[in-house]
Amino acid sequence: MSKLPIWLRMISNAAASLVLGFLVLPILAVVPASFNKASFIALPPRNYSGVWYERFFEDVEWQTSLYNSLQVAVIATAIAVVLGTLAAIGLRRLSGRWRASITALFLAPMIVPVVVTAVALYRSALDVGLSGTIFGMSLGHMILALPFVVINVGIALRGVDDNWLKAASGLGGGSWTVFRTITLPNIVPGIVGGAIFSFITSFDEVVVAVFLAGYSNKTLPVKIWESIRLEFTPVIAVAATMMIVLAIVLFAVAQFASRSQGNSAR
Amino acid sequence: MQTGLLLAPALLVLATVFVIPLARLFALAFTDPAGTMVPFETLLGSPVYRQVAFNTLVVAGSVTAICAVLAWPVAYVLSRLKGVWFIVALYGVLFPFWISVLVRTFAWMLLLERNGPLNKLLMGSGLTDSPISLLFNNTGVMIGMVHVLLPYMILPLYSAMSRIDRRLLLASDGLGAGLLDTFRRVYFPLCLPGIAGGATFVFLLSLGFFITPALLGGANAITLSMLIANFVNERLAWSLAAAGSIALLAIVLLIMGLTAKLLPLDKGMFAK
Repeated sequence: MSKLPIWLRMISNAAASLVLGFLVLPILAVVPASFNKASFIALPPRNYSGVWYERFFEDVEWQTSLYNSLQVAVIATAIAVVLGTLAAIGLRRLSGRWRASITALFLAPMIVPVVVTAVALYRSALDVGLSGTIFGMSLGHMILALPFVVINVGIALRGVDDNWLKAASGLGGGSWTVFRTITLPNIVPGIVGGAIFSFITSFDEVVVAVFLAGYSNKTLPVKIWESIRLEFTPVIAVAATMMIVLAIVLFAVAQFASRSQGNSAR
Repeated sequence: MQTGLLLAPALLVLATVFVIPLARLFALAFTDPAGTMVPFETLLGSPVYRQVAFNTLVVAGSVTAICAVLAWPVAYVLSRLKGVWFIVALYGVLFPFWISVLVRTFAWMLLLERNGPLNKLLMGSGLTDSPISLLFNNTGVMIGMVHVLLPYMILPLYSAMSRIDRRLLLASDGLGAGLLDTFRRVYFPLCLPGIAGGATFVFLLSLGFFITPALLGGANAITLSMLIANFVNERLAWSLAAAGSIALLAIVLLIMGLTAKLLPLDKGMFAK
């Protein structure tokens, strides 16, 4: 097994390349589709032009949806990062059964099917008047993002030695000083990672947003979702390309953050 | 005391924005004016809804099986590669994670169209004479879902494979076992935990999938989550939506309970 015959190695390499191609290439199909000149979606397009990019940037509805998405993602991330970081630090002080069950509770939004969460939030948002509001969507996304912060900060906290904290408080540091000078600097990469995950979770999220958006506060994915069902023009491909570009930028930032985490751990 | 203060804000918000809304939704299933258990009886009694539940399980099962097969070569090659090629292959697996499921599903709508590139390829290669319908049926749903869920199978399998001690394989080789025997009696059993963990992930995520079946399957391939959304949006049948939600969550929790040992929830698998 450690030396597979050459023909078997070639077959497994070829199969792996095919599957990797299947994973990556289809995503890129939206990029040529966005440069179509015609008013219908075709792949590959007959004539290329940037006309749908102009349309995207001139259309108030698309612009508003992009702005709404950014707003929702920023609010959701801000709340999730603060609550999740505090919770992760609290969880570390617990032990045994308490720690396991409270962790499970924080991870629950990942396990409950998102449609169920969306319908439940929609119902309660209707009752308290948060349906169709930016804040309502932000709260919904914050709940979905919270597990990422708790996990990421939790992992970063493993790099903080309890003895450092004891030493710091033994030297007369109050709990805030100890947190600010010892804990915080060591978990910053985890917080940044959690924040990036939160942001992308919110920015990409469709289902909760579709239920909570209402008529006037659509996010970019909601606008894409509706356009797919109503018009199906290349402007959707432009919006999809925008989302890919943003994801790649965030991916690069996250790589950078995790690299600096690796360095600071050493 | 301080621990409580650290946890309180998040727990309070989680209760208000998640636990209580869920509880309020679930309560609707039991407070139907027609009678306490009527929504459940309606769901279970209707052949249409039973068909939807069956279809959901069939799609989830097929997607899991296809992912299990496709994950093998990638996971194996990942576990053997080093240096630049390892990074390239790993990024190939991780890149799709970062792209919105909506965007990926939209891309498949373009590729699977009647006059789309895939049909052109199939016809050009002489495999079919007329375009085959890949969209708005279970075929389309499964292609799209396998694409989204495959990394969840590859990563646990890769992690199991890379933990295997190569000396075991050498020993098996040295003791005279053939390639197939070594695979069957040493390598495969050591990979099983990875396969089982990945399969659980993929199956559970498939059950709750909404965007991909809604766009690639449409009215011809309805799943449980589409049905729940439909109860709310088209029919304002809140008690049925609540009963459907309870059923879906119950299935998910049941499977999680059965496979609890295989799911390394606390090891940060999700953080990838």
